[in-house]
Amino acid sequence: MTRLKTSFRVIFALVLREARVRHGRARIGYTWAIIEPVLLISILTFLFTQVGTGVGSGRNFPLFFATGVLAFSMFRNTSTYISMAFDQNRPLFNYPMVKPIDTSIARLVLDGATNFLVMTLVLCFQVLALDAFPPNDIPRMLLAFGLLLAMAFGAGVSLAVVRRFMPTISNVYMVIMGPAFFVSGVFFSLADLPTLYREIVAWNPLIHGIEEFRAGYYPEYPDADIDLFYLTIWVVVLNFIGLVGEWLTRFRQV
Amino acid sequence: MIDLTDVSKTYGLRGGRKVVLNGVTISLPWRNTAILGRNGAGKSTLLRMMAGIEQHDTGTIRRNKSISWPIGFRGSFHHELSGIENVRFVARIYGQNTEEMIDKVEEFAELGQFFYEPFKTYSSGMGARLAFGVSMAVNFDVFLIDEVMAVGDARFQRKSKEAFSQRLPQSRIIMVSHAMAALRDYCDCGLVVHDGKLTYYNELEAAIDHYNTLNK
Repeated sequence: MTRLKTSFRVIFALVLREARVRHGRARIGYTWAIIEPVLLISILTFLFTQVGTGVGSGRNFPLFFATGVLAFSMFRNTSTYISMAFDQNRPLFNYPMVKPIDTSIARLVLDGATNFLVMTLVLCFQVLALDAFPPNDIPRMLLAFGLLLAMAFGAGVSLAVVRRFMPTISNVYMVIMGPAFFVSGVFFSLADLPTLYREIVAWNPLIHGIEEFRAGYYPEYPDADIDLFYLTIWVVVLNFIGLVGEWLTRFRQV
Repeated sequence: MIDLTDVSKTYGLRGGRKVVLNGVTISLPWRNTAILGRNGAGKSTLLRMMAGIEQHDTGTIRRNKSISWPIGFRGSFHHELSGIENVRFVARIYGQNTEEMIDKVEEFAELGQFFYEPFKTYSSGMGARLAFGVSMAVNFDVFLIDEVMAVGDARFQRKSKEAFSQRLPQSRIIMVSHAMAALRDYCDCGLVVHDGKLTYYNELEAAIDHYNTLNK
């Protein structure tokens, strides 16, 4: 019980510290964590709208793209930040109550909240300024958000464990996440693909989370190919590898 | 205050493993204790294990008192955060009253306006004063001291020493040093680290004698 209380205290302190430090050089601090992705997504949406007519199979493209890129970048950014939590907080392990896993959880909390805010802002902007229709099934979107966030945690902690022995794994991850942007359903829907491609692309767990997110937003979205069970298996396996791996390799903490 | 049961600790170096503790069982009383040993014997590692920072390989370490980090440690201060923000973080993780602790540190460290500036703008003396102030502001039962005790100018050193003397009725210290004078000032018993073994002496002088024979 005391241990649990201490953990909560430590995680709370870490969240505040991270929020303050993440954008330390920018004067506006944490606000930048919100503004940056909102701007980035707006610019990307604008660019792709200019060149990308016909993508998204005739749906409102800015909205189609925004829902996809929000879910994708949430996963990529959160998992990347969590993967570096041990290294970047190493000096704090000199305080014995600060456990490595606390730093991962703090980043999960902070990035989860940040991305939730960003999503809300971008989607509100779409509805209010760009005349998009409002979301159809918010609980369904939250489910997709939660699953992707949980997978980001599992992936991030697993990477952090591997980084204890092989820091270059981060470069490999970046190389994977580059092309992943194009095969995770940011630009297309699973239902739009020919059967052969669809079966290959469906091995990518991200696409199921991103499509589910969209299926929550759009009424009558073609969701026959979304396999949440498959995504959940990834969530469980990655979290298991990450947490058990962290526990087994905790001697590498300092 | 600290009980070690069958504790072993080695760490890997190029060309073999270095043994710090080899199956040590010892119960340290709540006293001002000097830790003695030759260079590289593992005194600092032992101190860090007592603090709970460094993991031991096997065995158990039990503590029934709150134990500080090695005094003066400032590696955890974030460069972009101001002194006050760094203090706030430590206060939070130790469950201290944040405002009270800030007042104590501000008063003790004498940083003036710099208390509100990023840590990276501090001179090394200012950083040391902040670190010392933070250590003294938490009510530890045991303070760990690794060599450095004297920071700042003569006046600040006097102040630090006074602050320590005020703590000594409620707190104890465990001190690593090669300076016998400093050890005699603060400690009344000793622990010699040698060849993976710990030898405890009720009398500090006996520990110093043992240490001197190791150096012959």
